[in-house]
Amino acid sequence: MTRLLAVIERDLKKFRRNPVVLAMSVLMPLIYLIIIGNSFQGKLKALPVVVVDQDTGPHSGRVVENLQAVAAGPGTITIIRMKDQQEALSGVREGSYKAALIIPSDFSKNVARKSRPSVGLFLDNTDGISSETIRITVEGAVRASGTEYVSVREAAGEVRMRDVNLYSKVDYYQSLVPGVVIMAIFLGAMTTGAFNLVMDRFLGIDESYLLTPLSKAHIVSGLIISGLFITTLIAFFILIVSMLITGISFSAEPGQWVAIFAVITLTTLGLLSMMFVIIGRVNHPRIVGILSGFLNVILFFPSGAIYPVASFPGWLKSFALVNPEAYAVDALKSILFKGAALSSVSHDIAYLFMFTLIMMIVAIFAFKRTV
Amino acid sequence: MQGNKAIEVSGLTKTFGTLTAVDNVSFDVSEGEFFGFLGPNGAGKTTLIRILTTLLKPTSGGAVVACCDVARHPERVRHEIGVVPQAMTSDLDLTGYENMDIYGRFYGMPAKERKERTGYLLDLVGLTQRANDLVAAYSGGMRRRLEIARGLVHRPKILFLDEPTIGLDPQSRQNIWGFLKKLMEGDRMTVFLTTHYMEEAEELCGRIAIIDSGKIVVIGSPEELKGRLPGNDSIVLTVDNITQDLIAKVEKLPFVHKSSVEENKIRVSVDSGANNLPGLIDEARSSGAKVLSASIHEQSLEDVFIHYTGKSIREEEAKKVSFLVGAGIPRKWGR
Ligand SMILES: Nc1ncnc2c1ncn2[C@@H]1O[C@H](COP(=O)(O)OP(=O)(O)OP(=O)(O)O)[C@@H](O)[C@H]1O
Ligand SMILES: [Mg+2]
Repeated sequence: MTRLLAVIERDLKKFRRNPVVLAMSVLMPLIYLIIIGNSFQGKLKALPVVVVDQDTGPHSGRVVENLQAVAAGPGTITIIRMKDQQEALSGVREGSYKAALIIPSDFSKNVARKSRPSVGLFLDNTDGISSETIRITVEGAVRASGTEYVSVREAAGEVRMRDVNLYSKVDYYQSLVPGVVIMAIFLGAMTTGAFNLVMDRFLGIDESYLLTPLSKAHIVSGLIISGLFITTLIAFFILIVSMLITGISFSAEPGQWVAIFAVITLTTLGLLSMMFVIIGRVNHPRIVGILSGFLNVILFFPSGAIYPVASFPGWLKSFALVNPEAYAVDALKSILFKGAALSSVSHDIAYLFMFTLIMMIVAIFAFKRTV
Repeated sequence: MQGNKAIEVSGLTKTFGTLTAVDNVSFDVSEGEFFGFLGPNGAGKTTLIRILTTLLKPTSGGAVVACCDVARHPERVRHEIGVVPQAMTSDLDLTGYENMDIYGRFYGMPAKERKERTGYLLDLVGLTQRANDLVAAYSGGMRRRLEIARGLVHRPKILFLDEPTIGLDPQSRQNIWGFLKKLMEGDRMTVFLTTHYMEEAEELCGRIAIIDSGKIVVIGSPEELKGRLPGNDSIVLTVDNITQDLIAKVEKLPFVHKSSVEENKIRVSVDSGANNLPGLIDEARSSGAKVLSASIHEQSLEDVFIHYTGKSIREEEAKKVSFLVGAGIPRKWGR
């Protein structure tokens, strides 16, 4: 036990003497949050949409009101009213507007009669993200007007109605927070634990402690524990700061904090152990540098932190099934945004636990105690 | 127990691919002995120490160190030995004191004993003043002294030193020799040292083995080895042009025992060199050679080395670029 503590203390002391590493591990995820959060949000603001209301009846009025509410509230779109359908359509074609919504003159009448009321939506398909957003917004507005059976006819073809929560309180910026916390954990797991072993090996310092009675388990678990300590501290700090930055109001019960703690700790342990398996025998820091960029992309983007796992193609979905970061993101999203309790993220936690256990066993097994 | 043997090596061989780094080596070291391995670059000194200190598994043969077989009970052997590897291995981000203290904890030493021992050793190696500075701020010599002290913190029965003064200036070297000798007076410890410095082997070791290309060439005390050489002085003549005629003539002289040639130098072993130097120079001139310089010295381990291996260890030394490269790089090749 004293030996294990000595390994941990040595590692923590060395980390403390390198404040630049600490500063970078904290700053980088936060900068990432601000850059990604704002660049994606920029695209989704003030998209110009032309509305041609040929009906001017009670029901069409309500649809337009709903759209105006979106324009005034989240500001996803701005609305330009027009009388002439042709002028509106050519405006979309020329690129002046992102979309044109045409409400036909028989709209209110059809709604009242319940005889297949429909509206026409002409989208500028060249910009995928904005056209998708507008479609969702318009569908939401039509639904929210209480006219449930209206179909939105898109110029490009048939449109499926979707259940969209138009007035959700979670904006994109906030939804990035779990991902940023996971990224902080990844960075921490990358720069502590096994990486210190690689550095010692590179500098030839490993020889000095391989000569002592320290066992494989002492060395591996000591480095993992010190890495865990540093990384969870950073991750919690990032979580709190990014919640403040993005304005997530979250008054958790103790049980939820336990769940958050469990997810963060297990994810950290799992990634630290995984790094031991992957770079446990590497002897040059440059290899770690290359691997870290690669692993970050491989694990982070398919984690659901930026795009929902649900919209991945099948093969990528099955990768998300084994990706520990996907479980971590899912659990944090559920707790932070849906107010889930410990029990409702237990499947995520169970997976992370299994992942960690397997990786740790393999790590100790794979570690070579000779030079 | 094993009588009073500290190290027993028999038929030890280590190969890396097709290269035999240690070739069927056998020797014993008694308890309390200061034993040296003398050999040039690449002779296999570090490889041998790595096997004896459990870092490498031998290809064949075996070694018993302190208590047990190194391949069968490495963890028990590790408890009994202290090692100072060839490359610098202290932690740059820790202070000198922390380096020692953490090391003591790796051996499970209690706090009080660690403190006393660290204080004593830091004093011995003259680092008490700098104990709380980061090792990053140490000079090479200071770092080396710290590492030797660190290797002693847990009172090992056997201390292994792999080229302890490599890359250091003569003053630091003297300093290290000084406290190694002082240490030997105090603790009755066995020391196993490798070096390619003749003076170091001569100054410190009770017995040495000369190793070349992985093989032990000869073992004995420095006096014994020198005594086995024919003659008692060594003369080196530098001439403008070495000819077969010159060599033949020189070797025929009655007081000359042996000669060897390096570039434009001819080295001969002679009896009473001071009296015979003029005769040797005359003989060289008579064969038409121009003598540029002559030097004469008592025979040393250098001459022993040349006698047994046919080459000078100093040539090798000149090729040694950096003490860090010595042990840091080649071991990676095997993986
Ligand atoms: N891991 C390895 N893989 C392949 N070859 C190796 C390895 N370690 C050592 N060697 C080779 O074994 C031979 C002996 O090397 P070793 O380091 O033991 O020599 P040395 O006597 O300590 O030399 P030096 O004075 O330079 O330290 C060298 O030819 C070296 O290249
Ligand atoms: Mg060596």
